[in-house]
Amino acid sequence: MAYALHFPRTLDEAFRLLDPEGTEGALPLAGGTDLLPAVEAGRWHPSALVSLSRLPLGTFERTEHEILIGGTLPLRRLEREPDIVRLLPGLVEAIREVGSVPLRHRATLGGNVVRASPASDLLPPLLALEASLDLRSRDGTRRVALGDFLRGSWETTLRPGELVERIRIPVPRPSSYRWQRVRPANDISQVGVACALASSDGRSPWRIAAGGVEPHPQRLPGAEAALSHEDPTPGEIEEAVHRAVEGSRLKDDRRAGEEYRRHLLGVLLRRSITSTVSRARTMGGRGT
Amino acid sequence: MTRSVSLRLRVNGVPLERSIPPNRILLDLLREDLNLTGTKRGCDLGTCGCCTVLLDGVPTLSCLTLAKLVEGTEVTTVEGLGEHGELTALQRAFVERGATQCGFCTPGFLMTATALLRDHPTVSRKEIQEALSGNLCRCTGYVKIIEAVEAASRSGASPSLP
Repeated sequence: MAYALHFPRTLDEAFRLLDPEGTEGALPLAGGTDLLPAVEAGRWHPSALVSLSRLPLGTFERTEHEILIGGTLPLRRLEREPDIVRLLPGLVEAIREVGSVPLRHRATLGGNVVRASPASDLLPPLLALEASLDLRSRDGTRRVALGDFLRGSWETTLRPGELVERIRIPVPRPSSYRWQRVRPANDISQVGVACALASSDGRSPWRIAAGGVEPHPQRLPGAEAALSHEDPTPGEIEEAVHRAVEGSRLKDDRRAGEEYRRHLLGVLLRRSITSTVSRARTMGGRGT
Repeated sequence: MTRSVSLRLRVNGVPLERSIPPNRILLDLLREDLNLTGTKRGCDLGTCGCCTVLLDGVPTLSCLTLAKLVEGTEVTTVEGLGEHGELTALQRAFVERGATQCGFCTPGFLMTATALLRDHPTVSRKEIQEALSGNLCRCTGYVKIIEAVEAASRSGASPSLP
């Protein structure tokens, strides 16, 4: 289990240390809440851990139309950031349900996205909020929509030597995350549903994503299309629920069975839509 | 074998300099190297809260923290609560209310609640429940623990940290 530990202070130094041709088996270390137990348990055998803690990746920026979250910002910081609380309520609801307070002091949004756990409670709201990632490597920065970044359970299109520089989320977005789990803290949701309202540009303004579905959290385009405007009728909501439930393959594992999850998907979607509608009334206009 | 790294930090007010393997976990540094066995190893996954210590006053899971990452910080363990052998108001409340049974989880609860009461001297029951939700207790059913934190909060005595 012996590995070297590096604390680069510049991105150039980090990229050199993470270069797969230079150091075989070097892994970037952000909050470490997922990585360190895996290494300690002997599931991974890195030759080196490259701590991102001293790199300039902990930035936070708010522009007119976007919030830009640095890859290594801890979740606890994000849930207390007034701009996020005000402009992205659905994201805050999800962050506050991750692990516990001490865990969130270390865990990062960038780390959660890169791990791409199929059970992540943060991926559904980030998908509904149409987040994109700035991925930095020694060749520069490329931008990828989160939906294109996720390839499968624990699988992404991240290339060797790339780091999450920031996560971009358009604002404001009336949004909501609703979930069900066995116990509220230190657990992972059986199903989680996120809704967000974007500007409509002739299409449905609804962006809906769910976790607890196969193979990983994803958007539910059928349900979105059933809702043509910001304040849907009860009939339209039921049509969206019908399409979500019929159009999704639900997981079936130790957390919950497939039938129960199907039931939850409908219940949570209704609640998330209703909550998002009421937030849209208090939050006012959409971002682009 | 990877060579050792140097580590400087303060533990319960005492400056410390050590040579440690780079993969030393903070929990092991405290328990094995410093013999501060009040901090417990529970799940080793960041789920139970038994290993909670304060890093510059912030509740942190020592089982998920590389010792080298806390370079330059002040670590407070349960041994560092109170002064001159006196219990803090929170610890006394735990004793008076019977908020422990086997006692294994108690240090973690004390550290989490100490930080809570320092930041919010008067807290509601709901805030206590939320703050303690990352600490598991398999004996008490939590009621006495929450009551003890409430009592300490009402007593208004600020928690004593080094």
